[in-house]
Amino acid sequence: MAPVKLANVRKSFGAVEIIQGVDVDIVDGEFLVLVGPSGCGKSTLLRMIAGLESISSGEIAIGDRVVNDLEPKFRDIAMVFQNYALYPHMTVERNMGFSLEHRGHSKSEIAERVQWAAQILDLAKLLDRYPRQLSGGQRQRVAMGRAIVRNPQVFLFDEPLSNLDAKLRVVMRAEIKSLHQRLGVTTVYVTHDQVEAMTMADRIVVMNGGKVEQIGTPLELYDRPANRFVAGFIGSPAMNFLPGTITRAGFEAGGVTLPLPGPIAERDGQDAVYGIRPEHLALDGEGLEAEVLLVEPMGSETQVTLRLAGQQMIAVFRERISARPGETIRLRPDVAAAHLFDAASGARLN
Amino acid sequence: MAPATSPTGSDHTGSRRRPFWTMERRDALAGYLFIAPQLIGITIFVLIPLCLVFWFSLHEWNVLAARFTYTGAANYKALLSDPGLGEVFGATAIFSLGLVVLNMSLALLLAVLLSQKLTGITVFRTLFFSPVVVSLVAWTIVWSFLLQKNGGLNAILQVFGLEGSNWLRDPTTAMISVIVVQVFKNVGLNMILFLAALQGVPKELYEAARVDGVSPFKQFRRITVPLISPTILLTSIITIVGSLQVFAQIAVLTQGGPGMSTTVLVYYLYQQAFQFHRFGYGSTLSIVLFVIVAVLTFVQWQMRKRIVFYER
Ligand SMILES: Nc1ncnc2c1ncn2[C@@H]1O[C@H](COP(=O)(O)OP(=O)(O)OP(=O)(O)O)[C@@H](O)[C@H]1O
Ligand SMILES: [Mg+2]
Repeated sequence: MAPVKLANVRKSFGAVEIIQGVDVDIVDGEFLVLVGPSGCGKSTLLRMIAGLESISSGEIAIGDRVVNDLEPKFRDIAMVFQNYALYPHMTVERNMGFSLEHRGHSKSEIAERVQWAAQILDLAKLLDRYPRQLSGGQRQRVAMGRAIVRNPQVFLFDEPLSNLDAKLRVVMRAEIKSLHQRLGVTTVYVTHDQVEAMTMADRIVVMNGGKVEQIGTPLELYDRPANRFVAGFIGSPAMNFLPGTITRAGFEAGGVTLPLPGPIAERDGQDAVYGIRPEHLALDGEGLEAEVLLVEPMGSETQVTLRLAGQQMIAVFRERISARPGETIRLRPDVAAAHLFDAASGARLN
Repeated sequence: MAPATSPTGSDHTGSRRRPFWTMERRDALAGYLFIAPQLIGITIFVLIPLCLVFWFSLHEWNVLAARFTYTGAANYKALLSDPGLGEVFGATAIFSLGLVVLNMSLALLLAVLLSQKLTGITVFRTLFFSPVVVSLVAWTIVWSFLLQKNGGLNAILQVFGLEGSNWLRDPTTAMISVIVVQVFKNVGLNMILFLAALQGVPKELYEAARVDGVSPFKQFRRITVPLISPTILLTSIITIVGSLQVFAQIAVLTQGGPGMSTTVLVYYLYQQAFQFHRFGYGSTLSIVLFVIVAVLTFVQWQMRKRIVFYER
């Protein structure tokens, strides 16, 4: 267990800078999730921590050691790969013990560690099987077993659940989380699935185009996204955006005026984007008119696609909605939960 | 789409007379037609000659004297008392073993070197593969000049103040020269097969091994070799069988000499049949060669469970 410190870390492939100066302080024992759209550099950053990719500039420290020029095996990290990277010609037992064999552990010690890991991950019955004889979820657990037998300082996961079906993903998500709670090892977990990020993370790092957009706890990111990108990326269905202008009367967009969150005096006349999450639109007889486009009942809630102020939006209601496409309903945004972003930079204004 | 129970459904269960060309029969016909060319080829060019050779081996057949008399197992008994045969088997074993070991290890070494991602590496791959497509006889004749007493190799050695031997005429160097010439000719083929196999090993396995703390040499031994073992088995069978059939190289380079030192089984067979006109005995030697190849291949195939660590 050790903290991990990234200071102004950069990486270029040829002339292209893929990681453009990342600063993150990962606390000892923390579960940190790196999330972002495809190609934003999450895997590259993780591989740099692992030592599989060189660092163009900046500094990475694990514990109190700067590891920039250290081979992976000296970094005391364990990595779980997206496709598991199990050795196909070795049994589950050998797969898990392989790293220990090469670190000078005795046979009995290896057997003991492997048994311990198999116990935790419920693999005891599968030790003699080969990877090709396992299901996706079992392979996933073997890959985790291989990581935990070494008792490393840091776990690195690169989209470990993306090859599993939706149901198994939820199960394994919980398993990884409880494993972390049990072992308390500092973990860096890469995913492009924001639900995974929200449910598992102590803190989330949202990345985009090789830069960090925001770092914070899941609810911080959800309640106070620092910019439009984070606001749109975190939350499902995504936040609704309404471009318009800030005035003394309120936020004017598409012929309607919405109440503003917070004071606006000095921002009169500024172009901005109004952000409101689907669950923060409530039915109200006095509210704004919206045309219903699509109603999707899901049992516990109802998702309605509608047009409000000329903009397509999604609203989610706890109650059941009987409206049909083409009809008009009236909605009121929850001002306290509304967000304002600068139209040009996307930075948060309120 | 619920399955409809049609009133004629019972027709398919066979209550009506089935037509001769059922689905299975048509599939079977198509299958036989597809393998027919190969089957006909093997019959005409392999099976029939094999039977004929066996038939000839039961005869004393001298073409010049126009003698073709049935002698039963006499040729096979002659094998046992043939004074040259021991030496021939010895030369064959040395040649095959030397060739296989040298060829396979060089091919694997080249494949590992050439699988690196470096600019211009394809030039080298082409370079090492090109001898495979060169005419065998032309290749061998060029080497026979290079290896002469006053040939190119010795001229190069002289620049360094070394005196080379008469490579092909000296009993100590003739065999190794023949082996090396043949390895250079064919190593490219195994190299390409190994290259393809190496590229089939997922690179994440090496990354996982790096994180696991496995040294590059151990990665090669514990990951690469097991994962390419099917190819190692394949190339070893091809190479051994090929080595037992080497003829033109010997004929051009040493004619089996000096003495009998490079007279391998095929060359001996050729001498008996075409130089001494003992076709019956030559046929017998062919059968011996056939049995050796068959047994070796069978043994290697049986060993695959222990050699091949990993089969898809
Ligand atoms: N070896 C390389 N050479 C050149 N460019 C690379 C290399 N590896 C990655 N890249 C580029 O770096 C960028 C980031 O890649 P990376 O794999 O880190 O993305 P990612 O965030 O993990 O995406 P995904 O969610 O799709 O896995 C991509 O634009 C990719 O094309
Ligand atoms: Mg990735």
